[in-house]
Amino acid sequence: MTKTAMELIDVKKTIGNKDIIRGLSFEIRKGEVFGFIGPNGAGKTTTIRMMVGLMGLSGGDVRILGNSINSDYKSAIREVGAIVENPEMYPFMTGKQNLMHYARMMPRVTKERIQEVIELVGLEKPIKEKAGKYSLGMRQRLGIAQALLHKPSVLILDEPTNGLDPAGIREIRRYIRKLAEEENVAVIISSHLLSEIEQMCDRIGLIKNGEMIAIQDVNAATAETTDVGIEMEAAPVNQAAEILHNEHGINATVVNDRLSLHVERETIPKIVQTLVNYDIQIYQVVTTKSTLEDKFFDLIGENTIG
Amino acid sequence: MGNFFQLLVNEQLKLYIRKSTWIMYILIALLVLGLAFINHNAMENSRTYEASQDDNWRQTLQDENAEMQKEMEQKEMMQGAYTGQIEKNNYYLENDIQPRSYDTWQFVMENKFLLSLVSLLTIIIAAGIVANEFKWGTIKLLLIRPITRTKILASKYVSVLLFALLTLLFVLIFSWIVGALFFGVNGLNPHIVLNQSDGYAYVSIIGEIIEGYGLQLITLVMMATFAFMISTIFRQSALAIGLAIFLMLSGNAIVGFFSHYDWAKYILFANTNMNQYINGSPMFDGMSLGFSIAVLAVYYVVFLVISWVFFTKRDIAGH
Repeated sequence: MTKTAMELIDVKKTIGNKDIIRGLSFEIRKGEVFGFIGPNGAGKTTTIRMMVGLMGLSGGDVRILGNSINSDYKSAIREVGAIVENPEMYPFMTGKQNLMHYARMMPRVTKERIQEVIELVGLEKPIKEKAGKYSLGMRQRLGIAQALLHKPSVLILDEPTNGLDPAGIREIRRYIRKLAEEENVAVIISSHLLSEIEQMCDRIGLIKNGEMIAIQDVNAATAETTDVGIEMEAAPVNQAAEILHNEHGINATVVNDRLSLHVERETIPKIVQTLVNYDIQIYQVVTTKSTLEDKFFDLIGENTIG
Repeated sequence: MGNFFQLLVNEQLKLYIRKSTWIMYILIALLVLGLAFINHNAMENSRTYEASQDDNWRQTLQDENAEMQKEMEQKEMMQGAYTGQIEKNNYYLENDIQPRSYDTWQFVMENKFLLSLVSLLTIIIAAGIVANEFKWGTIKLLLIRPITRTKILASKYVSVLLFALLTLLFVLIFSWIVGALFFGVNGLNPHIVLNQSDGYAYVSIIGEIIEGYGLQLITLVMMATFAFMISTIFRQSALAIGLAIFLMLSGNAIVGFFSHYDWAKYILFANTNMNQYINGSPMFDGMSLGFSIAVLAVYYVVFLVISWVFFTKRDIAGH
């Protein structure tokens, strides 16, 4: 058994004479959560549409468990569950009826399985209501339920955190991790906001103008973290800055009555200790940007991020 | 084949779960009831031989004829108004057939014009069945299944035909039941004297019903398929409904407008009316039943192939 769940091989898409996707190649392993990040219009949704066969490929191939989406569509797509853009449901049918509808289109989905996914996404209560009355968060969950019905090996979620409140995002994060770890599902999540999905991903691929410009292992990125940006609320703030400069040789800038500085992780307690010794009042210390975000900002160019 | 049946179940559910579909049926039901009511009231005054079930029906018919003859002679305005009726009565007398009173079978037969309503509703369904999936955005979730697009399209098309069939059956059965309540039932296979192309004849009403409804089915299927095609090309139902209904209503006018051209006989609507062969008077020279069937078949196949090409080959892109 190969560990690769899905593989993109030099995938291209040309519409008119515009190159939308210019040769994407990457693979997603089983049990891995892969974040697909890029500014709006970078080609995320187009790529996802090609992965699930909604759009034809202008070049290259997508293989799902080794089956080509071009030549062996049915075997390939059988292993995929997906939400593409918004999770649109039949508004005049109940949540349950929507699920039954899709269940009929796939082999071997039992009644028990339908009940199981309803419970997994926590829709037991509103499942008998019309989907047209659902909030975006509920539709998002119904969308995930629909994608999980046939126990796919690959789960593709396009902007799954869109329109969800923080609690909802945390919940989705929890069962995506669970799916990957317990059921060995390969999960692909797209988003234009790194911060929203960073915590649930194992690897993150960055797409810009139809090209994959970086793929980063999230754990590796945080492990090698030494240099962190921190923000500190302290009073009196100017005196604090002076102390830091004199005692530690750190140049801190004062922005909106807050100290902003870059230090090695290990020195944070020492700085705090020093300031306390000088009777500076410290209200909070926050790390501002992860290095991953810094890295991606540099790659994309800050002015282009959506 | 197993999952094709499941797809049909899905499509039928999506049709019949919606209130708008039920409103269509309620409309038909109200119309049938209304027609029965009007017929019933009109009949009250004109049932001359209704009471005379026994042997004096001949006398009743003769009296009726004499009366009509007299009226036509007396009043300038009524000149020739009853000749048809008199001829019909004479046919009964000559062939020694006792006329049947108006009953549910005749009511069903007369209601064959309701089939244009069925056509209209079928067009609406055909125009929406693909376009609505795009409107709702559900097309994406529908197409990412281990089922070919061809099969999904086929299930939708068959669903349209199934809808037409069910609605047609509804019109027939509901008309029959309402007719039976209002006018009674005269046997299981009653015959009636009708004006055919070669004069009056004694025919089976059920045969007439099958012919009357059957011939209209051609237009129904052709226009529904046309609406289905437009809806798969443009992915919106309003245009498909509008175009199909416009063409259905103006079909004859279009043929008339181009009638002095040689190619007018190839126009779809010159061939949908099979009555022209039953009456023995084709619209254009060189037309025959075989010719019309061939022309219809070509249109039909073209409509379906275009639908298929657009549905299976095109990308499902964003809105």
